[in-house]
Amino acid sequence: MIVFDRVSFFYGTQQVLKDTRFSIRFNERVAILGGSGDGKTTLLKLILGLLRPDSGRIIIDGEDITDKKEDELREIRMKFSIVFQEGALFDSLNVKENVAFGLREYTKMTEEEIGQKVRELLGKVGVEHAMELMPEELSGGMHRRVAIMRSLAAFEPKMFLYDEATTGLDPVNADIICRLILDLSKDGKGFIIVTHKVFDALRLADRFMFLKSGSIIFDGNKDQLMQSSISEIRIFLRELNPPLA
Amino acid sequence: MGTKELISELQDFYLLSFRGFLGLVRRPYYSKDIIEQMDYAGAGSFFIILLVSLFLGMALSLQLSAELSGLGFKMYIGRIVGVSIIREIGPVMAALVFAGRVGSGMASELGSMILGHQVDTLRVFGVDPVKKLVTPRILGSLIMLPALTIIGDTVSILGGYYIAVFVSHQSGAVYWSSIRGVLNFENVLSGFIKPFIFGYLIACISCYMGLSTKGGAIGLRRSTTSAVVVSFIMIIVADFILTRILFYVLGFSL
Repeated sequence: MIVFDRVSFFYGTQQVLKDTRFSIRFNERVAILGGSGDGKTTLLKLILGLLRPDSGRIIIDGEDITDKKEDELREIRMKFSIVFQEGALFDSLNVKENVAFGLREYTKMTEEEIGQKVRELLGKVGVEHAMELMPEELSGGMHRRVAIMRSLAAFEPKMFLYDEATTGLDPVNADIICRLILDLSKDGKGFIIVTHKVFDALRLADRFMFLKSGSIIFDGNKDQLMQSSISEIRIFLRELNPPLA
Repeated sequence: MGTKELISELQDFYLLSFRGFLGLVRRPYYSKDIIEQMDYAGAGSFFIILLVSLFLGMALSLQLSAELSGLGFKMYIGRIVGVSIIREIGPVMAALVFAGRVGSGMASELGSMILGHQVDTLRVFGVDPVKKLVTPRILGSLIMLPALTIIGDTVSILGGYYIAVFVSHQSGAVYWSSIRGVLNFENVLSGFIKPFIFGYLIACISCYMGLSTKGGAIGLRRSTTSAVVVSFIMIIVADFILTRILFYVLGFSL
């Protein structure tokens, strides 16, 4: 369970999150919607302890991580698998080395075993032919697929975190990523996806939260979202039925 | 920037510099990253240092020839070229070129890693970004800048020789005997300590600027520019302080 208890966060003098309160179970499929700069990515970073809140408490799996030191957060971070916006693959490493990164850090596998595991993981998402390519040589869709596989390579996460996983992709590649996300959550593992693409959110999640200027102004299921009268949400929902010119 | 922010930034900078240095003696060691950094900093800067040093040595020798010929002190060209290159101009020039090329590269690389969430990804994988990214850059600079300085000094002195002998028509034997005369322990030590300090400063400043990048492409431009400008200023300031200390320690009379 992830618990945010009156969490506030500032970037310099700008308040990004205001007294945020919510709890999410590890098996829930949650989409956090909101505009750019409304604090969606910040929220994911707070869950992982990559940022420290200015006030309030964050509790992960019963442990208060608010004041934990960097080395104490390692265990907490292993409970999650995160895919950052645009994949965040290491520029200086090829696809194979990127996926093998966690295996080298966390396991004592031999080079041969690592090679086999990487091939197997990349094979699952159809990019095994790109093992020797550098990240800049990959398409956007391939980039995300490799990033997802890298995040799973070394450990079994309890929950997946996706930061704008389908943003910037064409419909075909966005569909591939959505199917992959659903596939990975088949065995009851939940995920949090932050996005501003309402179409993908509706396809993937069961619970929806809407962030506006650092506050959660909506938290509910699909039906409640569709019937919401909040003006910002109505604007987002227009994506489903764009007005014809 | 207010006083509070300045103190906070200085505190962060000292902490990063200290942790980066501590990484040299604490496991894990990222040997592949260290070799990569040495290659980038050393081999990549080799020809630039060679070229700049050659022309600097020739220009210095030319200036001195013009001035000393009129006074009848042409035989001192080698001595003055040697002392100024070994003790002062060589280390400072190599450090400035190094800061311009390697320091800016470090800041922009780390800055784009910050903006692309690659540093966050390292932390998620339980890897200390200071050990993985800063320590190899500090070590690379600590090894390669002194090596480049020695090469630069040698080439500058050769450039000075060319002008002294073939343009100013001074005896080559006199030039080399003057150079041998200034290659004493005090002068060599004085010129050899500086690149270590400069290398450490450049790596720490550039890594700090890179890792504190905020705000997209403009932020990246700002951090890269700051890395070079602050490094330049600190090299000049540190050079004066070091010169003063070395004069005192090595007993140079004023």
